[in-house]
Amino acid sequence: MEKYGSLMNLIDGMASDFLFIDGREIDVPTAGKLLNNLDELIKEANSQKVFQLKNVAGGLNSLLEKTILDDIDDKEASFNVLEKGIALMQEIGESFKNTNGYEGDIESFMESIVALTGDQLLEEVVEAYQEESQPAETIEEIQDDSLLRDFIVEGLEYIDEIEVNLLNLEQEPENLDCVNAIFRPFHSIKGVAGFLNLETVCDFAHILENLLDRIRNKELSVTSRLIDIILDGADALKALIIELKENMEGNPGEPLEIDLPALKKRIENVEQDVSDAVEVKRLGEILVEDGAITEENLEQGLEVAQELTPPKKIGESLISEGKVTPKQVSQALRKQTKQVADTAVIRVNIKKLDDLIDMVGELVITQAMIRQNSFILSNSDIRLSRDVSRLSSITSELQRTSTSLRMVPIKQTFQRTSRLIRDLSRDTGKQVGVVTEGEDTEIDRNMVEEIYNPLVHMVRNAVDHGIDSSEERIKAGKPEKGLIQLKAFHRGGNVVIEISDDGKGLDRDVILKKAVEKKLIDSSQDLSDQDIYKLIFLPGFSTAAKVTDISGRGVGMDVVKQAVVKLRGKIEIDSTINKGSTFSLGFPLTMAIIDGMIVRVGTERYIIPTTAIRQLLRPVKKSYNNIIGKGETINVMGNLLQLVRLYKIFDIEPEHKNPWDAIVVVVECENSSKTLMVDEILGEEEVVIKSLGESLKNSKGVSGGAIMGDGNVGLILDPEGLFELSEV
Amino acid sequence: MNIDKNIKILLVDDFATMRKVIKNLLKQSGYNNIVEAEDGVEALKVLKSEKVDFIVSDWNMPNMTGIELLKAVRADSDLSGLPFLMVTAEGLKENVVVAVKAGVSNYIVKPFTAEVLNEKIKKIIEKL
Repeated sequence: MEKYGSLMNLIDGMASDFLFIDGREIDVPTAGKLLNNLDELIKEANSQKVFQLKNVAGGLNSLLEKTILDDIDDKEASFNVLEKGIALMQEIGESFKNTNGYEGDIESFMESIVALTGDQLLEEVVEAYQEESQPAETIEEIQDDSLLRDFIVEGLEYIDEIEVNLLNLEQEPENLDCVNAIFRPFHSIKGVAGFLNLETVCDFAHILENLLDRIRNKELSVTSRLIDIILDGADALKALIIELKENMEGNPGEPLEIDLPALKKRIENVEQDVSDAVEVKRLGEILVEDGAITEENLEQGLEVAQELTPPKKIGESLISEGKVTPKQVSQALRKQTKQVADTAVIRVNIKKLDDLIDMVGELVITQAMIRQNSFILSNSDIRLSRDVSRLSSITSELQRTSTSLRMVPIKQTFQRTSRLIRDLSRDTGKQVGVVTEGEDTEIDRNMVEEIYNPLVHMVRNAVDHGIDSSEERIKAGKPEKGLIQLKAFHRGGNVVIEISDDGKGLDRDVILKKAVEKKLIDSSQDLSDQDIYKLIFLPGFSTAAKVTDISGRGVGMDVVKQAVVKLRGKIEIDSTINKGSTFSLGFPLTMAIIDGMIVRVGTERYIIPTTAIRQLLRPVKKSYNNIIGKGETINVMGNLLQLVRLYKIFDIEPEHKNPWDAIVVVVECENSSKTLMVDEILGEEEVVIKSLGESLKNSKGVSGGAIMGDGNVGLILDPEGLFELSEV
Repeated sequence: MNIDKNIKILLVDDFATMRKVIKNLLKQSGYNNIVEAEDGVEALKVLKSEKVDFIVSDWNMPNMTGIELLKAVRADSDLSGLPFLMVTAEGLKENVVVAVKAGVSNYIVKPFTAEVLNEKIKKIIEKL
């Protein structure tokens, strides 16, 4: 019958392939061919419902696979079974062709296959195979220094690549190309590390590779937790490779501080979708581990301890039983605490943290209200006074601690920026190096994202407009490769981020010309260098000769300015032509609290951010001047600073109208200083900033409100806005 | 049977250090005529421009993986008979079977010694 013709063709093909095998062992290419034929045969037999044939072919398929995988020691036997199997299939095929069925028994044949392949589970098979395939004798023969050196250099490059791709992956969690691009370097590092006998590196790269493989197979989904773990993993791998480098160069650095087991545990947890709980061993377990007691002692001890009324702790009961010495228990206890200290990192939802910080803010205010309550102030009970002052010191400590919870190092932001610079330098064809400094400087977690965008703009500008081309640089006697420096540090209550380039520098004449052309300023205005540099922050200003993809649509810098102002920060520019420019961004450490000086004007109270205050003074009469064209000024140590009468701006009735009766606060803002006239200084306080709400959000001169110690609201002054108001 | 040690071997791997490692091993086994390629695409370019006798290729590479290279080689009538030794990182069962079905001449699992490599090459060439 024609019906089973296709089956017969396949089987006969296999039989003839088999005939040409020389020796009694199956070689890889023939096995490949046979496997493909068996696959097709299984499909065909299934669709034509020749199930005996399907079973035999399935058995042979598995036998053949295992034979290739070296799982079957007796190659001769498997060859024989295969030979028999093909003959059996021919028999079944023939029988179907002639009688449309097969009466024979395939059971005994199937048993002979199972006898060879065994009932091993897949995992065991793979494991056994791996063990066998990794030769026991080490591979010292190829272990030479130049290879190791190459590995270190290439390995570190690969890890950089991993970092970049991880960030891409975070943007596009579904992108398999990204996953592959991360998988591959781990895989390559593992491979070479295996040859070079670098067990730790090899093992760890292998674990990370497996993790990526599971993502690739969609067994795990990409979450920020997963990305964090892989980033940490990459960092650890980097540290391991750097350690190799240091050892090779003969100057071993500090011993590594990475906790590989903890990292492995986190990987395990993420794979099993378990949260990273802190596991602490029980005291009894530690005692058993230390060999102080046996398991039986422990069980007995536990029973005894529970029977006692009141129940005793295990340590106590073991001591009273004489099983352990107090010293052993105290040692074990110390170990237990150390365990907690070693692994005491937990993840907290940022929302919870924000709530906590808000609540602490409220607590601080309430505490201040209690402290300033007239009953408390007038009370003569020493104990109450002492308790109240203790309450306030605890609350401010609590506030400091809770705020610090939200602080993170700026490192990651810098890394992202460095990568961006690298990409930009490639896109523009300019050679640019990056140096970072102060990566450990901490900023409020909530500011990280907000800071990143202005940073991106500035860096783009630095690469596109700042750094000159190689030819220009060589002509100017500078190194061919440009350099961008990113620095972060704390100054006063601010965190400062500096972006410097060693490029062309800002050309004041070009800026001035452009600004006049664009009618942003009047050509007759006399401006200082600083004032001119600041023109680039005006909307609609762009000095780029041509619009590029990277920057140059003239929206960049004014966006930067807005973003920075929104964060209560400021920008300063320092530039020397042909030497380069430095943009420094200063931000308050946190958006939640402000250190303020409380001042009174008439019956109103205002808060001036302490960071802006340079000096407080009561001017003498002769230091006051009213010069035509310059307005009212106060002479502060030889500088004539403009006098701002706060009561005029806020339209209230002051106590004093003469500056020499009042107090002036010297306030610095954006490279200029002015003096604010107030009636009285009431003191200094840390206040929690409260927004004034949507409708008052854009009030100039006021950046927010704060609930003061006595429960009343004070307005927080915004020096920059005040300066602008005073100039109208 | 004596193996001709002058056969030209094309070594394909994206990791330069790995190429160096394998090259060293090949040299230890007496094979000195080696050309290199960074990935499958490069390898195909080499195969188009010069006569190669033997391919040793990594599996996992960007642009064109080892298995894609293998399939391309087997599908090209001028190259289809070329001995192809696949270097895999681990003996993942599915992987090896995929390679075998795609017509690989043999495969070798990292890390390996010069002897194992030599043995595999010998086995392949003897069958030719």
